Amino acid sequence: MDEFQTGEEASFLVDEVSSIIKEAIEGAIGGNAYQHSKVNQWTTSVVEQTLSQLTKLGKPFKYIVTCVIMQKNGAGLHTASSCFWDNSSDGTCTVRWENKTMYCIVSAFGLAI
Amino acid sequence: MEEFHPHNDEMIFNADEAHNIVKECIESVLGKADYNQNKVNQWTAAIVEQSLTHLVKLGKTYKYIVTCAVMQRSGAGLHTASSCFWDTTTDGTCTVRWENRTMNCIVNVFAVAILL
Repeated sequence: MDEFQTGEEASFLVDEVSSIIKEAIEGAIGGNAYQHSKVNQWTTSVVEQTLSQLTKLGKPFKYIVTCVIMQKNGAGLHTASSCFWDNSSDGTCTVRWENKTMYCIVSAFGLAI
Repeated sequence: MEEFHPHNDEMIFNADEAHNIVKECIESVLGKADYNQNKVNQWTAAIVEQSLTHLVKLGKTYKYIVTCAVMQRSGAGLHTASSCFWDTTTDGTCTVRWENRTMNCIVNVFAVAILL
């Protein structure tokens, strides 16, 4: 008896996730200049907005979204990430954004359940 | 007839264990160094790879994501946030912040249980 498989293969679509992240960043910090008192709200709002849009895609994935906002003042910042997962189903997408006063780096990781 | 549910009782992420593993990796890579633009890329790569290797050696059925940020200390503000959509009973995270005179290092570990 053949196994009956229904539904499309759920996969992590980098382009789709990348647009979701970009919209979340623009929406939260779009025209703003770095402000120490507001940055906490901004990072929170970017990750929450991104996560809620990702879960709305309805795919059987667990998600992790991280956001870093750094003031531009000449300091060097380096980031790296390493993942131990299933290469065929899991994926990641990182978006780097900047304006005149700050850098914003958002990473989204999707792990198939 | 009752359905047999294999219950993952032991599947809880041990954040302390992960914290110690990561701290040792950071110390061994950055320990006595000063911020050096030419070397930072090697350092962040070494930290994530060593941390990941040690975590995997724990032999638990988890997928891991390790991220590391190294920043020169110059007075700039840095803020990070993360949000996770997962199974809160089995999955977990651990963040280690480390610094010396010339740089800050922040390592995040995310562990997601694999359902067998």
